[in-house]
Amino acid sequence: MAGSTNRRAVRWLRGQLPELVAAGVISPENAGAIERHYGSVESRTNFGVVILASVGAALVGAGIILLIAHNWDDLSRAARTVIVFLPLLIAQALVGFTLMRRNESRPWREAVAIFDVAAVATAISLISQTYQIQGSFADFMRVWLLLSIPIVYLLRTTLGACVYLIGIIVWLFAHEIGIFVRSPDPMFFWVLFLLIVPYFLLRFFEDRGSRETAALAIVMAIALAFGLGFTTGFAKTDLGGVAFAGLMTAIYLCGIKFFPRTDERLHIVALLGGIGIGISAIVLSFESSWHMGREFFWGQRSFDGNIAVALEFLFPIVAVALVALDPIRRRVKFSLAAAVFPIVTAVALGIANLCPPSDAESLHKTSCSFTAAALMNCYALWLGIDILTRGIRSDSIARANFGLILIAALAISRFFDSELSFVTRGLGFIVVGTGFLVANILLFKKRAAAAA
Amino acid sequence: MKNIRLAIFILVALAQLSVPALMAWTRVQTLAYGRVWKFKTAPIDPEDAVRGRYVMLRLDAEDFTQSEQLKSIDSIYAILKEGPDGFAQVDHLSPSPVPADSAMKVEPGGWWQERQHIVFPFRYFWLTEKSAPQAEKAYQENSRRGQQNAYVTVRIRNGDAALEQLYIDNKTLVEYLRAQQSEKK
Repeated sequence: MAGSTNRRAVRWLRGQLPELVAAGVISPENAGAIERHYGSVESRTNFGVVILASVGAALVGAGIILLIAHNWDDLSRAARTVIVFLPLLIAQALVGFTLMRRNESRPWREAVAIFDVAAVATAISLISQTYQIQGSFADFMRVWLLLSIPIVYLLRTTLGACVYLIGIIVWLFAHEIGIFVRSPDPMFFWVLFLLIVPYFLLRFFEDRGSRETAALAIVMAIALAFGLGFTTGFAKTDLGGVAFAGLMTAIYLCGIKFFPRTDERLHIVALLGGIGIGISAIVLSFESSWHMGREFFWGQRSFDGNIAVALEFLFPIVAVALVALDPIRRRVKFSLAAAVFPIVTAVALGIANLCPPSDAESLHKTSCSFTAAALMNCYALWLGIDILTRGIRSDSIARANFGLILIAALAISRFFDSELSFVTRGLGFIVVGTGFLVANILLFKKRAAAAA
Repeated sequence: MKNIRLAIFILVALAQLSVPALMAWTRVQTLAYGRVWKFKTAPIDPEDAVRGRYVMLRLDAEDFTQSEQLKSIDSIYAILKEGPDGFAQVDHLSPSPVPADSAMKVEPGGWWQERQHIVFPFRYFWLTEKSAPQAEKAYQENSRRGQQNAYVTVRIRNGDAALEQLYIDNKTLVEYLRAQQSEKK
């Protein structure tokens, strides 16, 4: 994989090629093929330069905003309007120059992209100020994001794509706060999100092993989690838990399937999904997670409402499909315990809905809530043990300890949640603590034996 | 490939320029041809890092009597009328902007004991950095109970409302501050 290639080793190998050809060890064609194979690795610009150039451009942009906003007391509206467009025109001239003359320079592309996007925001804000135009922050963000997304594609800026994704998360919050109704329609998030997907696919097929592609995948996963959170709030069904279980499992499985690694370690995307599954399982192990709102109805819904419900079904279906489509003869690489999370959650949801709500119980609580929560507790325990054993098997201390943390979190949750005596709680902590010690001792012994 | 990319960029650049340009153009039209309305204000002055400084407006007309709570939340227009004191009042709420020179789009707020609160599309009156602290002081002196001398003028055209001027003691803010300065000298 290109991403994990040691650059110093590549440089050494390239230096050796002429000698190897001269000695007749490899043919000139082979040498050419090796050169081409590692070409992309060497031509990659130092990521530090890119970051510095981008920060520089952002600072210049911010400086221009402050200068313009605070030093034009005596100018007429017309004069201000002309000045407002100047930074934008300069930024656009620079984008044009970069496209024509510096198209292969990544620091140029990234820095100019940030400058242009900042200039658009400055122009909109200052025109608003000059003419006392008072849209909401969410409206401003939406226009800004839509005007910025083509720049991500034109200048092929992954940093810009990550910032765009953070922008759509900010839009979600601004939209929620800015409107006076509970759970306003967040569905435009998905339009904004879909706009970045082709860019991710381009990056993925070009260089799936690179750090930038991984970083973009992570930010996308985080944006998806926020988007789904707001969507479940808007959909007003009891399917939120299943939808989240589906999303986390889908992220985990995508990490394993689409970012394969040669060693036993997990790709960062799969790791993120795994952590998400663990946290979701703990949250769903509380009985209050299964107090059904019973707001769900199959009657007339708005178009956006229907899409929201469809999205809640989409992620669990994708997760199940990812498991089912895996060819049977291939060795299953993923954790079965993690992969069945959406199915277990769906079963728990079914159980929670079996009993009618009883008047004697508190609001939304059904007599089946306890059974559903008990099922999730058993599942979380199985997941913890599975991660622990996989960690020990693959000699990964981090993974083994994550399994233990999961079991400990489950134990702690139940100690605070239930009315157990102090003696029982104390014994429970001792058992979990001993588990930590024994597992770590086992792992270190195994490592020492392997080293010897 | 390079030419296609450049052609797309030209379209994007035009879009980036047209958004602020259109915003300014619509507002210039409303300010030039819109009907003038006066609103009594109760401003305060916090700070906004991105947009310089502004006076936060609270308008008397934003609260009015209405027997029923608002049901729909999409596109609500406040239809204005002139009160006996010459200041604008909300006559009623309507789903359509008719008549066009006295209707403006508003956001619904809370309803309590037959009083409906709505939010007008102008919450801030932006100021230059230099005049903001003086403006705040001037407002405080002119918006005490019994001495309410501050109001804003708004122009309305085709349902678009443009904030025009903040008046203190019947002078524009700039004139008022200038008069204060010369009095001190």
